[in-house]
Amino acid sequence: MVDEEKSLSRRAFLGFSTWIIGGILALGLFVPGLIYIVGPAFTQAKKEEWVRLGSTQKVEPGTPTLFTTTIEEQTGWITNEKELSVFVYTENNRDYIAMSNICTHLGCRVRWIANQEEFFCPCHNGVFDKEGNVVSGPPPRPLDQYEVKVEGNSIYIKVT
Amino acid sequence: MITRISDWLDTRIGWRQVWETVFLRKVPKVNWLYTLGSASVFVAINQIVTGILLTIYYVPTPDHAYDSVQYITTQVPAGWLIRGLHHWGASAMVVLVFLHMIRVIIYGAYKFPREITWMTGVILLLIVIGFGFTGYLLPWDQKAYWATIVGTKIAGTPPIIGDTILRIVRGGEELSAITLARFFGVHVWVLPVALLVLTGIHIFLVIKIGISAVPKRGE
Repeated sequence: MVDEEKSLSRRAFLGFSTWIIGGILALGLFVPGLIYIVGPAFTQAKKEEWVRLGSTQKVEPGTPTLFTTTIEEQTGWITNEKELSVFVYTENNRDYIAMSNICTHLGCRVRWIANQEEFFCPCHNGVFDKEGNVVSGPPPRPLDQYEVKVEGNSIYIKVT
Repeated sequence: MITRISDWLDTRIGWRQVWETVFLRKVPKVNWLYTLGSASVFVAINQIVTGILLTIYYVPTPDHAYDSVQYITTQVPAGWLIRGLHHWGASAMVVLVFLHMIRVIIYGAYKFPREITWMTGVILLLIVIGFGFTGYLLPWDQKAYWATIVGTKIAGTPPIIGDTILRIVRGGEELSAITLARFFGVHVWVLPVALLVLTGIHIFLVIKIGISAVPKRGE
């Protein structure tokens, strides 16, 4: 019993140890719990594939043409079909651009207004020209474009 | 800093008195068997935390139950760990509360004035078994399905009222989506509420009355 006053008492030591062990156990559950909750936000499998939209003959030069196609999408344990709507535009039947119909403002779907020659988004009056550039309204950037290739008569876009 | 905050709180709500009553109370000289109740509480906390986490992905319908459990186990990061803790914790829970009860019986700790503590403990044992029974169905695999066929059949064995009990437990003639949904509801709402309330009473009484000493030879 040397200097019991200064050294750690048995009671204090046990109390301290309880806190440490309890803390480690709590952390041992909290950290995996956090990883478990946020996990799927960062584990979406990104795959790239070329998807055929349709024939080049459908596209009239000077007018954006709407193509729809379905792609398979894996969300959690469910595989479902997701519909993609893509506007294809060409001026010369050689160079094509493919634009998503999703407004760059807040994700509503734009539609082509033929007599005004503009894309219009009904949610907040966003307006884009035939190449997808912002004409007026709140959209912060032009319509997103897909990478396009033409093989024979078929138009393909790269979906990521 | 921490001392100042705890002093500030103590002058207002007097938490130190509560702390001393709960954690620094005087107990007789006892042995390790007296830790079984605390161990049950510890595992119960584990079950609550991991159970809440499992509901983030689990879907209690025949279409999705099995697939969502597989998703948790194989796809979600640390999902295997959370499910594993809940799975093994369930078995540990049953074993611990049972041993806890055996200790109380052998030491005669259920006697006056602790009868109410004992009675709430008996109900808590039934609640834990209820948790085990309802939770067993939720993965919706072959084992879950047939175990619940058998379990609900056993519930249907009493004469006269047996068939009615079976129908109520299954929510109909057959084991179905209704059965899965009600087992889930009971497992995550009814039983947890009952467990928390009764555990509260049980622990309150343990602290209020104090625990019994190890009986001496000849007592």
